[in-house]
Amino acid sequence: MTSLARRLASANTLWIGLVLLGLIAVFGALRPDAVLTVFTLQTTLVETSVLLVLSVGMTYVIITSGIDLSVGSVLVFSGVTSAMTMNALNGGDATGAGWGTVLVGLAVALLSGAAWGLLNGLLVARAGIPPLIVTLGSFGAALGAGQLLSDGSNVSGVPDVLGEGLGTGTWFGVPNLVLLAAAVTAVGALVLGTTRFGRHTYAIGSNEEAARRAGIGVTGHLVRVYLLAGVLAGLAGFMALAYFRVASVTGHDTDNLNAIAGVVLGGTSLFGGVGSVVGTVLGVFIPAVLRKGFVIVGVNVYWQPIAVALVLVAAVWFDQSRRKARNQR
Amino acid sequence: MSTRTSAVLAALLLSPSLLAGCGGGGQIGDSGGSADAKKMVLIPGVAAEPFYTSMECGFREAAAAAGYEVDVQAPARFESTLQTPIVTGVLADKPGAVLIAPTDDKAMAGPMKQLKDAGIKVVEVDTKLQDTSVAVSSVSSDNEQGGRLAARTLAELVGGGTGSVLVLNTKAGTSTTDARAKGFEEEVGKYPNLKYVGQQYTDNEPDQAASKVTATLAANPDLIGVFATNLNTGEGAATGLRNAGRTGAVNLVGFDASPKQVEDLRSGVVQALIAQDPATIGRTGVEQAVAAIEGKPVNRDVETDLVALTKADMEANSKYFYKQRC
Repeated sequence: MTSLARRLASANTLWIGLVLLGLIAVFGALRPDAVLTVFTLQTTLVETSVLLVLSVGMTYVIITSGIDLSVGSVLVFSGVTSAMTMNALNGGDATGAGWGTVLVGLAVALLSGAAWGLLNGLLVARAGIPPLIVTLGSFGAALGAGQLLSDGSNVSGVPDVLGEGLGTGTWFGVPNLVLLAAAVTAVGALVLGTTRFGRHTYAIGSNEEAARRAGIGVTGHLVRVYLLAGVLAGLAGFMALAYFRVASVTGHDTDNLNAIAGVVLGGTSLFGGVGSVVGTVLGVFIPAVLRKGFVIVGVNVYWQPIAVALVLVAAVWFDQSRRKARNQR
Repeated sequence: MSTRTSAVLAALLLSPSLLAGCGGGGQIGDSGGSADAKKMVLIPGVAAEPFYTSMECGFREAAAAAGYEVDVQAPARFESTLQTPIVTGVLADKPGAVLIAPTDDKAMAGPMKQLKDAGIKVVEVDTKLQDTSVAVSSVSSDNEQGGRLAARTLAELVGGGTGSVLVLNTKAGTSTTDARAKGFEEEVGKYPNLKYVGQQYTDNEPDQAASKVTATLAANPDLIGVFATNLNTGEGAATGLRNAGRTGAVNLVGFDASPKQVEDLRSGVVQALIAQDPATIGRTGVEQAVAAIEGKPVNRDVETDLVALTKADMEANSKYFYKQRC
């Protein structure tokens, strides 16, 4: 049974992967000189790295049949606390600071994310409040807290070594941000696919009560899943800091929806119990490739959001109807 | 129905004072009370943004000089759903005048009309309603002129070079940035060496701005200039150009002059900024409000100047830099 489920999941992933390849092929055929270049590949990967890290955490949460609307706000909060700590350690401007400061900044970002994730997890698992409401609350509260700390303005003064090292640096032509995101994704995929932690995540999403009766510590596990999503949002905040060289307090309103869209597009069920990190990777890249391709090919600006929406809904509809056909057989 | 109830109903229906008082259908917020004429409230578009903070500085200074008590109430985000409860809250307080930057040119018309109907003088600052009957005066920058100024500045920066130019807009339907983009488009047509490749919307998200800049670079390798119509598009554009290794080679013209943008101008990430004059908008708004309260003539539309800042002349124009606090 599990092997069948696994085969189904991988087949879904295959189909979404084909959609992605198809899109690249269409854009590549229209403008081969601009689409099929190292430059476009590099920039597309870099621009999707932050969202990918958010989406890995979101995949776990959605597989438990939960949702985390707070990731974008936690990203902002972590970026703000991290940047402000680094500035405070260097007399108000960390631009010239060294790697020591950067590491402290990273720790602060991860801890900030962990704090919000833990709060989400405790409220969902222990207090039994629906995740939609809990994370809608922390969506507002984390953004508000970030704005309170930063006085509502973007925080600058990001160390140059961070911006040049992680933000724009490359390793044999591969941007460092992409390497970091790839490492996080690989670990996320392995943990979900091969460990007990991963199996428990699926079990809780399939049937929480059954999992509890089978002796799984559901409460503790859910707390850890939201904690993971929070920590990854904190890491994403740090990556965004390196990438934009500023902690932006206004620019991440729709990150949560983008992450959810990527996860669902990648074949993870909003009802829980089904999904994969590999699917999420493909799901996150489809909108990114569409947006980029439309600009390169020169699609009318008003058509772009409509076309992105159409492809999103069509891809999920196609996936659903195919799954239904399988189940009937 | 008992005779007693009927009598009460009849008395209510016939009561001339009640009929005169309500005139049939009422509106929320109609309840009486007189205005505290010596008080003035500023409702910016969003809390603690350097642009609005600078406006607040000008507002506080001018209102204090005119002997008014002041209050500032800002929504957490630039959204009519968040600004409306603030307006109705201020309405209960009945100040003499309200200076407001409406966050939506239609949705804010209802709440702002309630202010007007309560006898409060309404002055629009920065943004304005489509309905021009609500406010006594509108003070704003001429955003179209700002866009034209951006095109001229870009042409100067480029010199004799030729290439494509791109405009990064925020969301479709944002009146201020649409006007900036429109002004730019009109003016850039006068320079045959600049090929306008159109505008891209970014949902006001820096990551989308970055992605659209690099996509445009891929499609038009001769890109020579980018006009980013606000702070977030500017930050995203700078990130995109940095990733492409084209910082400085592609001239980036930003809008507004918040501290981070000024720093970017100084360090060469941005080549020019089109700065508004928010402090003067705030001061002028107070002048118009005072005139309206005192029954003196009011200018219906006041437009304040914009200025182009480049690295060469920025220090001489430091009074145009936006402030984080007064």
